[in-house]
Amino acid sequence: MQLMEKVRQTEFLGREFLLWLWFQCEINEERFDLGENGQAELWFDRRIVLQAESDEGVEKITCSGENPHLREARFALTKNKEITEAMIKLTIDDNEWSFILDSTWMNFKSFKTPRVMQDTKEDPEGLFHEKFFLIEKAVTTMDAIYASFIKIRISPKWETHELPAVLRWVGEGK
Amino acid sequence: MGLIFGSGSFTRFMVDGDVPENYMEEFPPRILRCAFRDIDETSDLERSFGWVNIMDMFDSRFAAMEYLKEPCIAMSWRVDVRKVPARALLRYCREAEEKIKATEELEYLPKPRRAEIKEAVRIKLLKRAIPRSQAYDMIWNLHTRVLIFGSTNNKLCDEFTEFFLTCFGLHLKAIFPYTIALQVLEKEGQNPDLLDGLHASSVGEVQ
Repeated sequence: MQLMEKVRQTEFLGREFLLWLWFQCEINEERFDLGENGQAELWFDRRIVLQAESDEGVEKITCSGENPHLREARFALTKNKEITEAMIKLTIDDNEWSFILDSTWMNFKSFKTPRVMQDTKEDPEGLFHEKFFLIEKAVTTMDAIYASFIKIRISPKWETHELPAVLRWVGEGK
Repeated sequence: MGLIFGSGSFTRFMVDGDVPENYMEEFPPRILRCAFRDIDETSDLERSFGWVNIMDMFDSRFAAMEYLKEPCIAMSWRVDVRKVPARALLRYCREAEEKIKATEELEYLPKPRRAEIKEAVRIKLLKRAIPRSQAYDMIWNLHTRVLIFGSTNNKLCDEFTEFFLTCFGLHLKAIFPYTIALQVLEKEGQNPDLLDGLHASSVGEVQ
Protein backbone atom coordinates (compact mmCIF):
# COMPACT_ATOMS: atom_id res chain seq x y z
CA MET A 1 0.00 0.00 0.00
CA GLN A 2 1.27 3.45 -0.86
CA LEU A 3 2.39 5.57 2.06
CA MET A 4 -0.19 8.32 1.58
CA GLU A 5 -3.00 5.79 1.26
CA LYS A 6 -1.99 4.20 4.58
CA VAL A 7 -1.70 7.63 6.20
CA ARG A 8 -5.20 8.57 5.01
CA GLN A 9 -6.67 5.24 6.03
CA THR A 10 -5.32 5.45 9.58
CA GLU A 11 -5.45 9.20 10.20
CA PHE A 12 -8.33 8.66 12.64
CA LEU A 13 -5.74 7.37 15.14
CA GLY A 14 -4.06 10.77 15.45
CA ARG A 15 -7.39 12.64 15.57
CA GLU A 16 -8.87 10.36 18.19
CA PHE A 17 -5.65 10.64 20.17
CA LEU A 18 -5.91 14.44 20.29
CA LEU A 19 -9.56 14.20 21.36
CA TRP A 20 -8.72 11.63 24.06
CA LEU A 21 -5.73 13.72 25.15
CA TRP A 22 -7.89 16.81 25.66
CA PHE A 23 -10.45 14.74 27.54
CA GLN A 24 -7.72 13.26 29.75
CA CYS A 25 -6.27 16.74 30.43
CA GLU A 26 -9.67 17.89 31.68
CA ILE A 27 -10.56 14.88 33.83
CA ASN A 28 -7.07 14.28 35.27
CA GLU A 29 -6.40 17.92 36.07
CA GLU A 30 -3.68 17.95 33.40
CA ARG A 31 -1.60 15.25 35.11
CA PHE A 32 -0.19 12.24 33.28
CA ASP A 33 1.60 9.37 34.96
CA LEU A 34 4.75 8.38 33.08
CA GLY A 35 5.52 5.33 35.22
CA GLU A 36 9.16 5.25 36.29
CA ASN A 37 9.74 8.54 34.47
CA GLY A 38 7.58 10.45 36.94
CA GLN A 39 4.72 12.70 36.04
CA ALA A 40 3.97 15.27 33.37
CA GLU A 41 1.51 18.09 33.31
CA LEU A 42 -0.06 18.84 29.97
CA TRP A 43 -2.77 21.16 28.77
CA PHE A 44 -4.27 22.47 25.55
CA ASP A 45 -3.24 26.04 25.14
CA ARG A 46 -5.07 28.76 23.21
CA ARG A 47 -5.15 27.23 19.74
CA ILE A 48 -6.94 24.25 18.21
CA VAL A 49 -7.62 23.43 14.58
CA LEU A 50 -10.66 21.28 13.83
CA GLN A 51 -11.91 19.76 10.64
CA ALA A 52 -15.08 18.18 9.29
CA GLU A 53 -15.24 16.16 6.12
CA SER A 54 -18.44 15.64 4.17
CA ASP A 55 -19.61 15.09 0.61
CA GLU A 56 -19.45 18.85 0.17
CA GLY A 57 -15.75 18.93 1.00
CA VAL A 58 -13.48 19.74 3.91
CA GLU A 59 -14.39 22.43 6.40
CA LYS A 60 -11.63 23.65 8.69
CA ILE A 61 -11.89 25.97 11.66
CA THR A 62 -9.23 27.44 13.90
CA CYS A 63 -10.16 28.36 17.45
CA SER A 64 -7.72 30.58 19.27
CA GLY A 65 -7.93 32.97 22.15
CA GLU A 66 -7.15 33.56 25.77
CA ASN A 67 -10.14 31.59 27.11
CA PRO A 68 -8.51 28.61 28.86
CA HIS A 69 -11.60 26.43 28.30
CA LEU A 70 -11.59 26.93 24.51
CA ARG A 71 -15.41 26.91 24.54
CA GLU A 72 -15.82 27.40 20.79
CA ALA A 73 -13.60 24.41 20.11
CA ARG A 74 -15.51 22.33 22.65
CA PHE A 75 -18.75 23.30 20.92
CA ALA A 76 -17.28 22.41 17.52
CA LEU A 77 -16.61 18.88 18.79
CA THR A 78 -20.33 18.42 19.31
CA LYS A 79 -20.83 19.31 15.64
CA ASN A 80 -18.85 16.40 14.29
CA LYS A 81 -15.57 18.28 13.97
CA GLU A 82 -12.32 16.46 14.63
CA ILE A 83 -9.11 17.89 16.06
CA THR A 84 -6.28 18.01 13.55
CA GLU A 85 -3.86 20.30 15.40
CA ALA A 86 -3.54 21.46 18.98
CA MET A 87 -1.16 23.77 20.75
CA ILE A 88 0.12 21.97 23.79
CA LYS A 89 2.01 23.02 26.89
CA LEU A 90 3.97 20.28 28.59
CA THR A 91 5.61 20.55 31.98
CA ILE A 92 7.94 18.03 33.59
CA ASP A 93 9.51 19.08 36.90
CA ASP A 94 10.50 22.72 36.33
CA ASN A 95 10.79 22.45 32.56
CA GLU A 96 8.11 23.68 30.18
CA TRP A 97 7.76 22.92 26.48
CA SER A 98 5.33 24.40 24.01
CA PHE A 99 4.42 22.98 20.60
CA ILE A 100 1.66 22.33 18.11
CA LEU A 101 0.99 18.63 17.64
CA ASP A 102 -0.37 17.58 14.28
CA SER A 103 -2.69 14.58 14.02
CA THR A 104 -1.73 13.35 10.55
CA TRP A 105 2.02 12.91 10.95
CA MET A 106 2.37 13.52 14.69
CA ASN A 107 4.74 16.32 13.73
CA PHE A 108 5.84 18.96 16.19
CA LYS A 109 5.42 22.52 14.99
CA SER A 110 6.55 25.80 16.60
CA PHE A 111 8.43 23.64 19.07
CA LYS A 112 9.94 25.54 22.00
CA THR A 113 12.09 23.88 24.63
CA PRO A 114 12.76 25.23 28.11
CA ARG A 115 15.54 27.78 28.20
CA VAL A 116 18.96 26.24 27.71
CA MET A 117 21.59 27.19 30.27
CA GLN A 118 24.71 26.36 28.24
CA ASP A 119 26.68 29.13 26.60
CA THR A 120 26.79 28.97 22.79
CA LYS A 121 30.32 30.33 22.50
CA GLU A 122 31.87 28.80 25.60
CA ASP A 123 30.47 25.31 25.17
CA PRO A 124 28.73 24.63 21.83
CA GLU A 125 28.82 20.85 22.39
CA GLY A 126 27.13 21.29 25.76
CA LEU A 127 24.46 23.45 24.14
CA PHE A 128 23.78 20.81 21.49
CA HIS A 129 23.51 17.96 23.97
CA GLU A 130 21.27 19.90 26.35
CA LYS A 131 18.99 20.92 23.50
CA PHE A 132 18.90 17.41 22.08
CA PHE A 133 18.09 16.01 25.50
CA LEU A 134 15.18 18.46 25.82
CA ILE A 135 13.83 17.63 22.35
CA GLU A 136 14.00 13.89 23.05
CA LYS A 137 12.40 14.32 26.47
CA ALA A 138 9.30 15.96 25.00
CA VAL A 139 9.09 13.51 22.10
CA THR A 140 9.44 10.40 24.27
CA THR A 141 6.90 11.80 26.74
CA MET A 142 4.35 12.35 23.99
CA ASP A 143 5.09 8.88 22.58
CA ALA A 144 4.55 7.39 26.05
CA ILE A 145 1.19 9.15 26.39
CA TYR A 146 0.26 8.04 22.87
CA ALA A 147 1.23 4.46 23.82
CA SER A 148 -1.23 4.65 26.77
CA PHE A 149 -3.92 5.74 24.32
CA ILE A 150 -3.16 2.91 21.87
CA LYS A 151 -3.26 0.30 24.64
CA ILE A 152 -6.75 1.48 25.61
CA ARG A 153 -7.81 1.95 21.99
CA ILE A 154 -7.13 -1.69 21.04
CA SER A 155 -8.71 -3.07 24.20
CA PRO A 156 -12.44 -3.84 24.67
CA LYS A 157 -12.39 -1.14 27.36
CA TRP A 158 -12.41 1.48 24.60
CA GLU A 159 -15.93 0.65 23.44
CA THR A 160 -17.35 -0.15 26.87
CA HIS A 161 -15.87 2.60 29.07
CA GLU A 162 -13.48 5.07 27.49
CA LEU A 163 -15.39 6.10 24.35
CA PRO A 164 -18.73 6.57 26.18
CA ALA A 165 -16.92 8.73 28.76
CA VAL A 166 -15.28 10.79 26.01
CA LEU A 167 -18.66 11.24 24.29
CA ARG A 168 -20.29 12.35 27.54
CA TRP A 169 -17.54 14.92 27.97
CA VAL A 170 -17.95 16.08 24.36
CA GLY A 171 -21.69 16.48 24.99
CA GLU A 172 -21.00 18.72 27.99
CA GLY A 173 -19.40 21.22 25.58
CA LYS A 174 -22.78 22.18 24.08
CA MET B 1 17.15 29.74 13.26
CA GLY B 2 17.16 25.99 13.55
CA LEU B 3 16.04 23.70 16.31
CA ILE B 4 19.31 23.95 18.22
CA PHE B 5 19.42 27.74 18.42
CA GLY B 6 15.76 28.54 18.70
CA SER B 7 12.32 27.13 18.09
CA GLY B 8 11.14 25.27 15.02
CA SER B 9 9.10 22.50 13.51
CA PHE B 10 10.21 18.98 12.83
CA THR B 11 9.27 15.69 11.25
CA ARG B 12 10.46 12.32 12.49
CA PHE B 13 11.76 9.47 10.36
CA MET B 14 13.02 5.98 11.06
CA VAL B 15 16.29 5.13 9.33
CA ASP B 16 15.68 1.86 7.50
CA GLY B 17 18.67 -0.43 7.70
CA ASP B 18 21.63 -0.90 9.97
CA VAL B 19 24.39 1.59 10.45
CA PRO B 20 27.59 -0.08 9.23
CA GLU B 21 29.92 -1.14 12.04
CA ASN B 22 32.73 0.84 10.45
CA TYR B 23 30.60 3.97 10.13
CA MET B 24 33.43 6.09 11.50
CA GLU B 25 35.38 5.23 8.36
CA GLU B 26 32.50 4.95 5.92
CA PHE B 27 30.47 8.04 6.73
CA PRO B 28 33.09 10.85 6.64
CA PRO B 29 33.84 10.57 2.90
CA ARG B 30 30.11 10.23 2.14
CA ILE B 31 29.34 13.36 4.16
CA LEU B 32 32.14 15.33 2.51
CA ARG B 33 30.90 14.29 -0.94
CA CYS B 34 27.49 15.70 -0.04
CA ALA B 35 28.74 18.77 1.81
CA PHE B 36 27.23 22.09 0.76
CA ARG B 37 28.90 24.01 -2.06
CA ASP B 38 28.12 27.61 -2.93
CA ILE B 39 26.45 28.27 -6.25
CA ASP B 40 29.15 29.35 -8.67
CA GLU B 41 28.42 32.94 -9.65
CA THR B 42 29.03 32.16 -13.32
CA SER B 43 26.70 29.14 -13.37
CA ASP B 44 23.01 29.22 -14.21
CA LEU B 45 22.05 26.91 -11.32
CA GLU B 46 19.01 28.01 -9.34
CA ARG B 47 19.59 25.75 -6.37
CA SER B 48 22.34 24.16 -4.34
CA PHE B 49 22.06 21.95 -1.28
CA GLY B 50 24.24 19.92 1.04
CA TRP B 51 25.42 19.33 4.59
CA VAL B 52 26.73 22.10 6.83
CA ASN B 53 27.82 22.22 10.45
CA ILE B 54 24.72 22.27 12.67
CA MET B 55 26.37 24.89 14.87
CA ASP B 56 27.46 27.10 11.94
CA MET B 57 25.60 27.05 8.64
CA PHE B 58 28.52 28.74 6.85
CA ASP B 59 30.91 25.90 7.66
CA SER B 60 30.78 22.88 5.37
CA ARG B 61 34.40 21.72 5.76
CA PHE B 62 33.82 19.52 8.82
CA ALA B 63 37.53 19.80 9.62
CA ALA B 64 37.03 18.22 13.05
CA MET B 65 34.14 15.91 12.07
CA GLU B 66 31.77 18.23 13.93
CA TYR B 67 28.84 16.05 12.88
CA LEU B 68 29.83 13.33 15.38
CA LYS B 69 27.85 14.05 18.51
CA GLU B 70 27.53 10.80 20.44
CA PRO B 71 25.09 9.04 20.11
CA CYS B 72 24.06 11.12 17.11
CA ILE B 73 25.11 12.37 13.76
CA ALA B 74 23.94 15.95 13.59
CA MET B 75 24.21 18.36 10.70
CA SER B 76 22.09 20.90 8.93
CA TRP B 77 20.85 20.52 5.40
CA ARG B 78 21.49 23.85 3.75
CA VAL B 79 19.44 24.82 0.72
CA ASP B 80 20.36 27.91 -1.28
CA VAL B 81 17.91 29.14 -3.86
CA ARG B 82 18.28 32.10 -6.17
CA LYS B 83 15.39 33.37 -8.20
CA VAL B 84 14.69 36.15 -10.62
CA PRO B 85 11.74 38.26 -9.46
CA ALA B 86 8.87 37.89 -11.95
CA ARG B 87 8.42 41.65 -12.41
CA ALA B 88 12.12 42.21 -13.01
CA LEU B 89 12.12 39.43 -15.61
CA LEU B 90 9.14 40.99 -17.35
CA ARG B 91 10.73 44.43 -17.40
CA TYR B 92 14.13 43.28 -18.72
CA CYS B 93 12.46 41.02 -21.30
CA ARG B 94 10.43 43.92 -22.65
CA GLU B 95 13.54 46.08 -22.86
CA ALA B 96 15.48 43.32 -24.65
CA GLU B 97 12.62 42.67 -27.08
CA GLU B 98 12.26 46.38 -27.90
CA LYS B 99 15.98 46.63 -28.51
CA ILE B 100 16.00 43.63 -30.88
CA LYS B 101 12.92 44.89 -32.74
CA ALA B 102 14.61 48.25 -33.24
CA THR B 103 17.95 46.84 -34.42
CA GLU B 104 16.41 44.23 -36.69
CA GLU B 105 13.63 46.55 -37.83
CA LEU B 106 10.90 44.07 -36.97
CA GLU B 107 7.31 44.88 -36.14
CA TYR B 108 6.77 41.87 -33.94
CA LEU B 109 8.74 38.89 -32.64
CA PRO B 110 7.56 35.32 -33.13
CA LYS B 111 6.77 33.27 -30.01
CA PRO B 112 9.85 30.97 -30.17
CA ARG B 113 12.12 34.00 -30.48
CA ARG B 114 10.46 35.66 -27.48
CA ALA B 115 10.93 32.48 -25.43
CA GLU B 116 14.59 32.45 -26.45
CA ILE B 117 15.01 36.05 -25.31
CA LYS B 118 13.21 35.35 -22.06
CA GLU B 119 15.52 32.44 -21.21
CA ALA B 120 18.64 34.46 -22.07
CA VAL B 121 17.45 37.35 -19.91
CA ARG B 122 16.53 35.00 -17.06
CA ILE B 123 20.00 33.41 -17.04
CA LYS B 124 21.66 36.83 -17.20
CA LEU B 125 19.60 38.09 -14.25
CA LEU B 126 20.00 34.82 -12.33
CA LYS B 127 23.76 35.30 -12.27
CA ARG B 128 23.19 38.63 -10.53
CA ALA B 129 20.70 37.28 -8.00
CA ILE B 130 21.75 36.75 -4.39
CA PRO B 131 20.80 33.28 -3.12
CA ARG B 132 18.45 32.88 -0.18
CA SER B 133 19.90 30.43 2.33
CA GLN B 134 17.93 28.13 4.63
CA ALA B 135 19.33 25.47 6.93
CA TYR B 136 17.25 22.59 8.28
CA ASP B 137 18.67 20.74 11.25
CA MET B 138 19.02 16.98 11.09
CA ILE B 139 19.68 14.90 14.21
CA TRP B 140 20.08 11.19 13.68
CA ASN B 141 20.18 9.09 16.83
CA LEU B 142 22.28 6.08 15.86
CA HIS B 143 21.04 4.05 18.82
CA THR B 144 17.31 4.46 18.30
CA ARG B 145 17.56 4.98 14.47
CA VAL B 146 15.12 7.87 14.84
CA LEU B 147 15.97 10.93 12.78
CA ILE B 148 14.62 14.41 13.39
CA PHE B 149 14.46 16.76 10.40
CA GLY B 150 13.73 20.42 10.99
CA SER B 151 10.84 20.94 8.59
CA THR B 152 7.23 19.79 8.24
CA ASN B 153 6.92 20.73 4.58
CA ASN B 154 6.03 17.55 2.67
CA LYS B 155 7.82 18.51 -0.53
CA LEU B 156 10.98 19.48 1.31
CA CYS B 157 10.83 16.28 3.39
CA ASP B 158 10.60 14.24 0.17
CA GLU B 159 13.62 16.04 -1.27
CA PHE B 160 15.50 15.49 1.96
CA THR B 161 14.80 11.73 2.04
CA GLU B 162 16.14 11.48 -1.54
CA PHE B 163 19.23 13.44 -0.58
CA PHE B 164 19.75 11.27 2.53
CA LEU B 165 19.51 8.11 0.41
CA THR B 166 22.05 9.48 -2.07
CA CYS B 167 24.41 10.39 0.75
CA PHE B 168 24.19 7.37 3.06
CA GLY B 169 22.52 4.72 0.91
CA LEU B 170 19.84 4.36 3.58
CA HIS B 171 16.09 4.87 3.21
CA LEU B 172 14.08 7.05 5.57
CA LYS B 173 10.68 5.73 6.57
CA ALA B 174 8.01 8.20 7.57
CA ILE B 175 6.80 8.07 11.16
CA PHE B 176 3.08 8.70 11.67
CA PRO B 177 0.45 7.61 14.23
CA TYR B 178 0.00 4.16 12.69
CA THR B 179 3.74 3.33 12.71
CA ILE B 180 4.15 4.59 16.28
CA ALA B 181 1.19 2.42 17.31
CA LEU B 182 2.79 -0.59 15.56
CA GLN B 183 5.94 -0.07 17.64
CA VAL B 184 3.82 0.03 20.80
CA LEU B 185 2.21 -3.31 19.92
CA GLU B 186 5.56 -4.88 19.04
CA LYS B 187 7.01 -3.73 22.36
CA GLU B 188 4.02 -5.15 24.22
CA GLY B 189 4.28 -8.43 22.32
CA GLN B 190 0.79 -7.91 20.89
CA ASN B 191 -0.43 -8.95 17.47
CA PRO B 192 0.00 -6.05 14.98
CA ASP B 193 -3.18 -7.22 13.20
CA LEU B 194 -5.10 -5.72 16.11
CA LEU B 195 -4.29 -2.33 14.68
CA ASP B 196 -5.41 -3.14 11.15
CA GLY B 197 -8.75 -4.28 12.53
CA LEU B 198 -9.48 -0.85 14.03
CA HIS B 199 -11.96 1.57 12.48
CA ALA B 200 -12.66 5.20 13.28
CA SER B 201 -14.88 5.56 16.35
CA SER B 202 -18.26 6.93 15.65
CA VAL B 203 -18.42 10.27 17.43
CA GLY B 204 -21.04 11.85 15.19
CA GLU B 205 -23.06 14.95 16.00
CA VAL B 206 -23.80 15.09 19.72
CA GLN B 207 -27.45 15.85 20.42
